[in-house]
Amino acid sequence: MAAVATCGGDAGSAGSAVATASKSNVTSFQRRGPRASGTNDSGPRLVSITGTRPSVRNGQLLVSTGLPALDQLLGGGLAVGTVLLIEEDKYNIYSSLLFKYFLAEGIVNGHTLLVASANEDPANILQELPAPLLDDNCKKEFDEDVYNRKTPESNIKMKIAWRYQLLPKMEIGPVSSSRFGHYYDASKRIPQELIEASKWHGFFLPEKIPSTLKVEPCSLTHGYIKLLQFIQNIIYEEGFDGSNPQKKQKNILRIGIQNLGSPLWGDDICCTENGDSSHSLTKFLYVLRGLLRTSLSVCIITMPTHLIQNKAVIAHITNLSDIVVGLESFIGSERETNPLYKDYHGLIHIRQIPRLNNLVCDESDVKDLGFKLKRKLFTIEVDSISL
Amino acid sequence: MLDSLLALGGLVLLRDSVEWEGRSLLKALVKKSALCGEQVHILGCEVSEEEFREGFDSDINNRLVYHDFFRDPLNWSKTGEALPGGPLGALRAMCNRTDLGPVTIALDSFSWLLLHLPCTTLCQTLHTVSHQDSCPPGDGSPVGKVHVLGLLHEELHGPGPMGALSSLAQTEVTLGGTMGQASARILCRRPRQRPTDQTQWFSILPDFSLDLQEGPSIESQPHSDPHIPPVDPTAHLTFNLHLSKKEREARDNLTLPFQFSSEKQEALLRPRPSQATSHIFYEPDAYDDLDQEDPDDDLDI
Repeated sequence: MAAVATCGGDAGSAGSAVATASKSNVTSFQRRGPRASGTNDSGPRLVSITGTRPSVRNGQLLVSTGLPALDQLLGGGLAVGTVLLIEEDKYNIYSSLLFKYFLAEGIVNGHTLLVASANEDPANILQELPAPLLDDNCKKEFDEDVYNRKTPESNIKMKIAWRYQLLPKMEIGPVSSSRFGHYYDASKRIPQELIEASKWHGFFLPEKIPSTLKVEPCSLTHGYIKLLQFIQNIIYEEGFDGSNPQKKQKNILRIGIQNLGSPLWGDDICCTENGDSSHSLTKFLYVLRGLLRTSLSVCIITMPTHLIQNKAVIAHITNLSDIVVGLESFIGSERETNPLYKDYHGLIHIRQIPRLNNLVCDESDVKDLGFKLKRKLFTIEVDSISL
Repeated sequence: MLDSLLALGGLVLLRDSVEWEGRSLLKALVKKSALCGEQVHILGCEVSEEEFREGFDSDINNRLVYHDFFRDPLNWSKTGEALPGGPLGALRAMCNRTDLGPVTIALDSFSWLLLHLPCTTLCQTLHTVSHQDSCPPGDGSPVGKVHVLGLLHEELHGPGPMGALSSLAQTEVTLGGTMGQASARILCRRPRQRPTDQTQWFSILPDFSLDLQEGPSIESQPHSDPHIPPVDPTAHLTFNLHLSKKEREARDNLTLPFQFSSEKQEALLRPRPSQATSHIFYEPDAYDDLDQEDPDDDLDI
């Protein structure tokens, strides 16, 4: 209104300003392009990709890691464009399980997968994914599992705080398949038709690099270069970075890299302290993060950090990744027989959570978390002894 | 367990040390495979062929295919006997074998190979060789199991190469012992299962057959120390954590103040017979200034 009054002398602009003000009756700003209220929209107003949701804290687009408990610890999920680094446990049992949960979540949501490994054929890895618990029979199994876990003391009705019995129980149960985060049955394999219906790309290092390659010092980074080129090709060809105008629905690329840094990738970071290629892994992570930030993709990497000899390199790697989760299993250690830890199979350490477009990061208050692999479920619980 | 060591396939590491040598165990396992009818290839790098073949019967010696890299490791004499590419070339040639049937490859030793070759190349080659059976060739014909076993001298290497080879190995046998009796601690890693850890006492007879024994104490868990009892956090506390039976009964019978029981409900609903259920008796103190008048009376508003 003030603008109309002051440019009374300029007839053209005043006229148009008055004209638009009278037309809309609300604001003198007019949206350029197709009108928002038009019934024949050219495209959806909000980008809604299956299996993603915006974060309630900072609006980042999140995907699920496959474990709802881990999602909660990471602040709702894994942000698209970031790297989740899992520091492997000593015998690589639980970290490969988390890796598989991530890939299975991708299949259930219909995301495209890219699996890279130097020791196992990606097709074999996909065959071993856990089966998703969808619809009603899963709720029955989950309830049965919870019931078996309940100790007799918890069945006594509350005597003092009896008003709390009226509150609804806050159990995180399985949700329907259209929601965020699914439950999986670790004792069953994923049905074959789900794998066939999904789109995946595999990178198996011994196939890409012939073993008769001459031994050269610079060939230590050869495997990483090949992997980066492969990832870049997939991102470009399938349009995850918006290069090809996609007529079809946008999708997320889930990248999984197994045992990065082990000698099978040609990297001697686990063998010596100051090798020739001590920077190849950090360079790889840097380039990978650049590729991820400019595309709709998310990456999980498992790394045997317990084998890395140079501790400074581990600090570099932690800084170059976005989320770092360390797994420490009790197998073979003296904690296995310690009664304080008898309920758990190991500890989870959340070493780093990113600050994406934020000044603070979303750390949870609880630092002591233990995990337990039951027959079907992988659960993460607060270590009750340390409270 | 020790005799079925090779049944699992994959890479078997025999870690020995100066006190407890492992070559006799290696030879015993080689003899066992040869007697089972498998093809046995030996890559001899550390000791001479005569020394390795010593102690074997002639029929076993005839079954062993020996690749000698001890006499002329760098192929200086150029007689053409040694395989091109050294031990690595020999290993790679075994990757591309076309004949079927189970094969045992014995490396004497991994330590020599680690000292002469880059660790990563060795790991990659070993991985390819030992995983041949899981990746069959294109024509789909089944390839027999490959067992790769070799000696690794613990004192020669740092934690880096040892850790790298251990992570590759399916089975790791660490030799030790007490009082002249040898023991083998066998750590078996099956993929996606918990590793099993066992200790087996044994001795090697002069003809290199394996004699399993009950040692001085069979321990299945070498980590548990019988002298330290398990920690019980609820012992030796200054406060009482448990209730006796009488105390528990008394606690159960207690009516809590804010609990709305049926008696209380009836007491409230029943019309009061007398109002004198509670009285307050007040004795005014000497300093109390109690005035029955209303103090606001002298205000004129």
